[in-house]
Amino acid sequence: MTRRDQHSKSIEVVDLGMTFRSDDGTSVKALAPTTLEIQPGQFVAIVGPSGCGKSTLLNVLAGFLSPSEGTASIGKEAVSGPSIDHGVVFQDYALFPWLTVLDNVTFGLKSKGLSRSERNEIAMHFLDVVSLRDFADKRPRELSGGMKQRVAIARTFATNPSVILMDEPFGALDALTRRFLQQQLLKIWSESRKTVLFITHSVQEAVFLADRIIVMTARPGRIKSDFQIELDHPRDFSSDAFRKIEKMVFDSLDEELAKTFGLAPNQLQSD
Amino acid sequence: MQFLGHSVPYVLALLAIGTVWQIAVWISDASVAILPPPLLTLATLWELVVTGELAKHTMASLSRVVSAWGLSVLVAVPLGLLMARSKMAERLLDPVIELFRPISPLAWIPLAILWFGIGETGKIFIIFVATFFPIVLNTISGVKGVDPVLIRAGRVLGCNNEGTLFWRVILPAAMPTIIVGLRIAFGTGWAAIIAAELVAAQSGLGYLIADGMEILRSDLVMAGMIAIGVLGVLIDSIFRIIGNQYDWGPA
Repeated sequence: MTRRDQHSKSIEVVDLGMTFRSDDGTSVKALAPTTLEIQPGQFVAIVGPSGCGKSTLLNVLAGFLSPSEGTASIGKEAVSGPSIDHGVVFQDYALFPWLTVLDNVTFGLKSKGLSRSERNEIAMHFLDVVSLRDFADKRPRELSGGMKQRVAIARTFATNPSVILMDEPFGALDALTRRFLQQQLLKIWSESRKTVLFITHSVQEAVFLADRIIVMTARPGRIKSDFQIELDHPRDFSSDAFRKIEKMVFDSLDEELAKTFGLAPNQLQSD
Repeated sequence: MQFLGHSVPYVLALLAIGTVWQIAVWISDASVAILPPPLLTLATLWELVVTGELAKHTMASLSRVVSAWGLSVLVAVPLGLLMARSKMAERLLDPVIELFRPISPLAWIPLAILWFGIGETGKIFIIFVATFFPIVLNTISGVKGVDPVLIRAGRVLGCNNEGTLFWRVILPAAMPTIIVGLRIAFGTGWAAIIAAELVAAQSGLGYLIADGMEILRSDLVMAGMIAIGVLGVLIDSIFRIIGNQYDWGPA
């Protein structure tokens, strides 16, 4: 693709903390002050127990929430609200049901001042990458969950954002569909090398996809470990190197799971 | 073919009603002026059709409902949109709407006659009142029911002001519920116009049945009632067809 300049930006999070206050005056600390720097073009996965604030972190970076303390910036610029430059892929797809697949993918291109034919050309390219060119005229309700998420991924990549935030995007899909989508995501990502922040519950998924895995602690979440993954793509789930990294991440996570469920770490033997 | 399939239950229902009606005529042995047999009523209905009487009264009723309903759409949809998007507008207007809503549109008939006489304006006013609330309330619930994740998706896909977000995401997402409101409103309007015409009119289906009562022709009354029912179903199915265009199912 030469027609559009590729760009990706860094993500900087400095002492970012989040405390939610409920109506009855009690407050819940979701995210302890956290500092994190992500290089442009890096694919970073975040894993952690439920309620560790990883989605909160993503929502702050997306501009959906304002942090209670600290700062979040994308490309050295403080996040001040949602922007088309910060793409988001949602767990429940968030396709516009009244639009066709093609119109869903061109939706974000409309604000970029492109002509209709340019918009369609870009959209068809990305539908091609996720193998859904033949479904351009269908409505979202005619698609399976996995197909919907591929449309949503194409829709986000089509707008050429400088970072892409993915909030458990494959969490609602079955294991086989999930595997296929992981491969498609790597394919579309390798074409543009956007900065990706990917939240997941699956250690295997994180090791399969990411350059770097961040493990968060139980609530209030903070960064517990930070692993660089040096394996080449495509990665083999059954290789020793893969298993070794998986075990490392699991070991780090198990302590936190034990805290979450009130058990001793040795009671939680991972596979 | 699909239409034929849909009409089978209606034909069966009509046959069942006709049978019960005929049995009631036999058992009660009432005079024709009080309870006419179904076949005589059908003959009267047919006569109304061929003489053009029915078409004339239907047009009179229908044009009142359409114009009042249209007026109501023009006022109630924007108002509902405003109330759903602005906390201030909702706080101010919601109590007003809640106080007026329980008052049956029929309760406005005396005032309508006092204020506007028995001309067209009074009837338009009654239908406006009858159609207003379903439209406002459905518009509000349609807009408030928009999945917040779609709004977030709109914001990260370039809708960076409230106006763009509204036209590109909120309004289309709320459309199915708004259309349900328009349909319900037409139904309540159709019911109310008959009542308004019973009291004060020289034309319309309500006038037709009121006139039948005065000249002791219950066959005329019942023929008019049948026409009201059948037309109501027909209008509702037109709305359903339009509504189906907007029924895109879950995303």
